[in-house]
This record gives sequence, structure tokens and C-alpha cells, in this order.
Amino acid sequence: MRRVRRAWRRWRAWAVSRTRYVVRRWRSSLQLRVVTSALALGVVAVALLGLYLSVSIRDGLFEQRVDRIERENASMTEQVRTSFSNSPATSRSDLQLLLTQMVQTLASSASSAQDFLLLSAPDQPQSLADTGTQPGLKDIISADLREATRATDGQVLQSVRVPGQYTESEVAEPGVVVGSTVEVPSLGTYELYAVYSLQAEQETLSFVQRTLAIGALAILALLGVLTWVVTRQTVAPVRRAATVASRLADGHLDERLPDAKGQDEMATLTRTFNEMAGNLEDQIARMEELSAAQRRFVSDVSHELRTPLTTIRMAGEVIHASRDELDPAARRSAELLYTQLDRFEILLTDLLEISRFDAGAAVLDVEQRDLRDIVTAVTDSAMPLAETKSVFLSVTLPDEPATADVDPRRVERVVRNLVVNAVEHAEGKPVEVTVGVDADAVAVVVRDHGVGLAPDEIERVFHRFWRADPARARTTGGTGLGLAISLEDARLHAGRLEAWGRPGEGASFRLTLPRRAGIRLQGSPLPLEGPSKGVAAPPTGQLPVLNPPTGPTPTAIPELGVVDVDGVDIAHAPVPPARPDVDEEAR
Amino acid sequence: MKSRVLVVDDDTALSEMIGIVLKSEGFEPTFCADGDGALVAFRDEQPDLVLLDLMLPGKDGIEVAREIRAESGVPIIMLTAKTDTVDVVLGLESGADDYVTKPFKPKELVARIRTRLRRTDDPGPERLRIGDVEIDVTGHNVVRDGERISLTPLEFDLLVALARKPWQVFTREVLLEKVWGYRHSADTRLVNVHVQRLRSKVERDPENPTVVLTVRGVGYKAGAPR
Repeated sequence: MRRVRRAWRRWRAWAVSRTRYVVRRWRSSLQLRVVTSALALGVVAVALLGLYLSVSIRDGLFEQRVDRIERENASMTEQVRTSFSNSPATSRSDLQLLLTQMVQTLASSASSAQDFLLLSAPDQPQSLADTGTQPGLKDIISADLREATRATDGQVLQSVRVPGQYTESEVAEPGVVVGSTVEVPSLGTYELYAVYSLQAEQETLSFVQRTLAIGALAILALLGVLTWVVTRQTVAPVRRAATVASRLADGHLDERLPDAKGQDEMATLTRTFNEMAGNLEDQIARMEELSAAQRRFVSDVSHELRTPLTTIRMAGEVIHASRDELDPAARRSAELLYTQLDRFEILLTDLLEISRFDAGAAVLDVEQRDLRDIVTAVTDSAMPLAETKSVFLSVTLPDEPATADVDPRRVERVVRNLVVNAVEHAEGKPVEVTVGVDADAVAVVVRDHGVGLAPDEIERVFHRFWRADPARARTTGGTGLGLAISLEDARLHAGRLEAWGRPGEGASFRLTLPRRAGIRLQGSPLPLEGPSKGVAAPPTGQLPVLNPPTGPTPTAIPELGVVDVDGVDIAHAPVPPARPDVDEEAR
Repeated sequence: MKSRVLVVDDDTALSEMIGIVLKSEGFEPTFCADGDGALVAFRDEQPDLVLLDLMLPGKDGIEVAREIRAESGVPIIMLTAKTDTVDVVLGLESGADDYVTKPFKPKELVARIRTRLRRTDDPGPERLRIGDVEIDVTGHNVVRDGERISLTPLEFDLLVALARKPWQVFTREVLLEKVWGYRHSADTRLVNVHVQRLRSKVERDPENPTVVLTVRGVGYKAGAPR
């Protein structure tokens, strides 16, 4: 039973795959479709035509034959009647002899009928035995026919099937029985039946049908070959064009169709196609030139701007270093010059980076790195900032290595950007950095609990020069390009950078990177929202990277029983006096 | 004695500014404004260090670095306005030891110069073995099979850093700090390029290194002495 089921299943699988294959072929080949539909139409047309021909030939043959039989039978009946009426016989034995002789006479006559029967009408009282060349044939004469024969003076025809035992060929043959009545002296009315074989006509008909069938098959084959050849002639260039077009689409812009001579449609198609491909190639070459020019421009601008900026910067620093010798106004100017040069430089760097992305000139410099190391390095360097903002910065790392093929410079830039952003917008509430890893991807989520983002802000957060809070942004000194660059960096890795946020609840940014080139990201090892509520306690099993604002042992883990690690207490812990830099003063 | 620094840069304002900074830091700067004259100036001045702009009229910085390197191991620091991978790597491969990206801070530049001029003052004679190579640290000499291998000071420092702690795997960041003097994370390509250059000199078969081994995903370590 099980074997049967298994066999069935196997058969079904085979049938399904077979069907799929056929369907695929059907869909993919125009030629197959044309040939098939031509053949289908051909079969229907030939079948109808054949049927009509065969039927009309059959009817014609039958009618002709029946006409002949009728005429022949009528004259024969007349003869029989005459013989009977002229007969002097009166005694039963004479009469019996007369009947027998009559049948024999008939059988040996030139008539085309094969058998004869003389049957007495059933209402004749003193009838003699029925006579016939083959008395058994009486069975094939139906009661209806006999009744009809008796009812008329003329002849009655009926088609019959003559059983094999009564025929020469010993197989059943089609035939016709013609009945008429004759008067036998002293005995009354007898029925005379003649059986005619239609075997000859049947054979003619079979022959004609065979010939028709062969002809039909030949026509169908011809039709099939014809359509195949015709479609091949038209489809082959189309197929060639399709192949070339797909090569073009793959970027082989120098691909062309072989030249076609003549003025027909195919030649026109070929010419226009090649013209189109030529135009396309020209256009793309022009675009590439433009792009290269753009790239050169970016590179040149970079150099041309940076060299004088370097001089200015060094001059500014030298002046700044000796600012104590200057009068107050000049001193302040030196300070302003110094800090604004920083901003100018960051802005220039970011702008050049963005335009490098736009020009498609950004190159990924990949090596295998552990994302945990990158994140640790970034959070370590972000500690001083977190300290001044009194933000509790915690890091959760997975136990297994989060290695991936990445450009460390870019990933570090993205992570630093996210962490610094989070710290700056945290408003003293904790910031959690989580690293996750799975088979395909590594991810880092940076979650803050600050002002948060409205839905429309989430959409615009990656836009260039967009600032969450224009009034605040000046003090934090970002260029407004950071997230836009981060997004481009993520894209360059075929990774993703996503934002989440809710007003008042904070924001979360997730960077997901494929572990190796060629992996298409499906999901991410980490949820975008990060830990749902602020850290009630540092994640267990992990060394929390705590950031006590002051104290003799800054790296020590506070006793959890004593200090309420809620983020809040730490935020309220004594803060060192803010650095007297311009950022603070501008606030 | 003041260290002499040759500044090769076509931008006279920047050259002058660098000169001011270097003088105030106790160096003795000399100048050259184009690539064609750089080698002549180098031979005349015999500087202790070369600051080389990458984009120069005439011969470009990469070509100049290659020529200087061909006859001397004097430290070369590139001044570059480009951060594109290809240019930086090309510069490093042509023989530069380090690079500073414009616009740089004077302190940064000076720190880079100081690191490259810093000579390890060792207490006593020290001999190290790494792979089939013998290092005489005090004599600044590297020998394999009695044959001297000529290394630039930077390559020498890199080799010695690895050889001093043969049991330790050095990450690129650690090497950047030890050899290049970077406190914060910097461009790890510096390490990659110079390890390749070092290997091309000390390895018998740079494809299958036995002196400087790669520890995949971590960094480099010294090969076992043989």
C-alpha cells in the first residue's frame, strides 16, 4: 500500500514537473505556439471536410445502388408473377416443386441479388413450407418489413446486416432486402424477398475513406511543416533581436544584430534596432564622460580647496597659540577663527564625501572585521562627549564574533555618527548600543530616549542638511550631512540604515550589513526599536560600559544595590563644569 | 642638532606656513617647489625627513617618492588632499612611510614628523630572531644567511615591534600606535601596505610568508625563529 502511494507520489511529481516544463516551453516559444495552433485549426478543418466528403460519398454510393436494385427487383418480380400466373400446377406437390424451381431459377438468373426467399403470408391457411436459397435468412427479415410488404403492391426496401454465416466472405456484410408480393396459383399471396449485398459499395467506401484519411494526414503534416518553416523565418530574427537586446540590457553596449539586406520588415527592424543600440551606446558614453568629468572636478576642487585651507588653518592655529599676547578683541577673533575653521573643515569634508558618492566615485575598501571591535572603539572614543552631556552609554555585545567583510573606515564613521547623534539628542537619558549577528548579517542598533522623532521626521532624517531642531543644531555643530553620508555608506555595503522614533520616547537607528559580498539582506539580527524601555539594569552577562561623570575610579562598576542604575540618577549625578568652548557659549 | 626637513610643495603659501610651524618647533626646513627639482634638492640638502605633496607640477609626488626611496631610506611623509583609496595606497606603495591629509593641524603634522624622526635609544645590544632573519637592533642591521637586507627605518621599526614580542598577535591598531604613533584609530591601510613592502624584502616567498605571518581577522605576528 505504502509502495503504491510512494509510486503515485513519484508519478505525480514527475507529471507536475513535466507539466511545468511544457507550460514553460509553451510560454517561452512563440514558434511552438504558432505551430500548435495552426495544427489544431488544421485538424478541425480537415476533420470537418473529411466527414462531409465521406458522408456524401457514402450517401451517393448507396442511393445509386438502391436505384439499381429497385429497377432490377421490379423486373424480376414481374417475371416471377408472370411465371406463377402461367403455371398449370394445382396439386400441393406440384406447387411445392413450382416454388422450389422458381427459387432456383431466380438464383441461377443473372440477378445481382445473392439470395431469395419465398415466404407464405402468415394468414394463408394451407400454405406450403417457406422456400429459399438459404432458408435461415428468414430471421433477418423483420416483422415490420413483412407487414409493410404485404400492405403494398410495390416493393419495400430495408437495410440489413447480413450475418457472416450467409455470406461468401463469411463476415457480416451490409445489405438490402427488397420485399414484394406474388400470387401463387391455388395458394394465394406469397412474399418474395431478395437479399442484395452492399459489400462492394462498402469496400469502395472504405477505400475512399482510407484515401481521404491519408490525404488529411499528409495535408496536416504539410501544414505543420509549413507553419514551422514560416514562423522560423519570422521568429528567428526576432529571437536573435531578443538575444541581442538582452545582451544590451546586461551592459554589452557594443552588441549589434548582423546586417540584413533588403527592404523587408526584418531588415527594417534590424536597422532600427542597431541604430537604437548605437544611440544608446553614444548616450551612455556621454554620461560616463560627464560622470568622469564630475569625478575629476570633485577631486580637483578637493585639492584646490584643501591646500589654502591648510595654510589658513595653520595660520589660525599659530595665531591662536599666541592669543594671550593679543588685545581682547583680537584674542576673541583668534578663538572664533580657530573654532569656525574646524566647522568649515568638517563641512568641506562632508560635502566632498557626498559629492564623491554622487559621482559614483566612492570605493569600498573591504576587509574582514569584527563589528564588536569597531563599536567598542567608537563608544570608547565617544565617552568624553557622553561624560560632558552626562549620558549613560551602555553597550551590549553578542558572545560570538560579529565578523563581516566591511570597510572599517566607513562603518566606524557610521557608528560614530549614530552614537554621537544619540548622545547629543539623549537629553541626559541613557543611550543603548546593541550589536547583533546572525548567519547572513551583522547589525548595530543605537537607541536613545531623548526627544524622539515624529513619523514625518523619520522620513526626512536622512535628507541632506535636515536638522531635527534648527534651534539646537547650531550648538551641537553637526553639518547636517552626517546621516546622509551614513546612509550612502550603508548602501555602498549593500546594507541598510533605518530609523525609528516616537516623540518623547526617543529614537533608534539600525545599521544592518551583510556579512559577505553577495548576500541579499532579508531581515536584521536585531529589532529596530532596540530595548523597549530604558535600562532598568545593565544587561546581565555583559560588562556594562558605564560612564560615571566623576569619581576616583571612572572604570569601576558601581554597586548595583547602592546606585540606582536607572539612567536618571546618573544623569543627576554631579556634572563636571562644562568646557568653556564656543558651543556652550552659543547656547 | 636640528633635524632638517625638506618640504616639497608647489603651494608657496603653504610651504612658508609649514616652514613657520617647523621652525617654531625646532626643525630646520628647506623647500622645493616642483617635482623635477625634488631629487636634486634631496641630494643637496641631505634632509632627515621629506614632506612630499602628492600633486606636483612636473613629476608627481608618487614618482618622486619612488626615486628617493631608490637611493635612501629617509622617512617620507606625504601631504595629500586626496583620501581616495587608490591614491593613498599608491603613495604608500611607492615608498612613503606615512601620510597627512590636508587640511591638517600643525600639531598633527609635528607629531607625525617627530614619530618618524624618533630613534629608539636602546639600553644595550639587542639581537632578535624572527623566521630565518636575524635582527641587530642597535646596529640597525637585518641579516639573512649572512646577507644584509636593506630596510627603511619604518620597515625596521615594524619588524622589531613584531620580533620583540613573538608570542603576541598585533592588531593593526596596535601596530599603528607602536610604529606610527597614532593614538586614535587611523587608516589601517598604512599597516597593510607596509607589511606587504616589508614582506617583499624579508620573505623568501612573499606569497607564503614565514617571517611576518597574517592572523586572519586579527592582525600580524612574528614567525617562529628557525
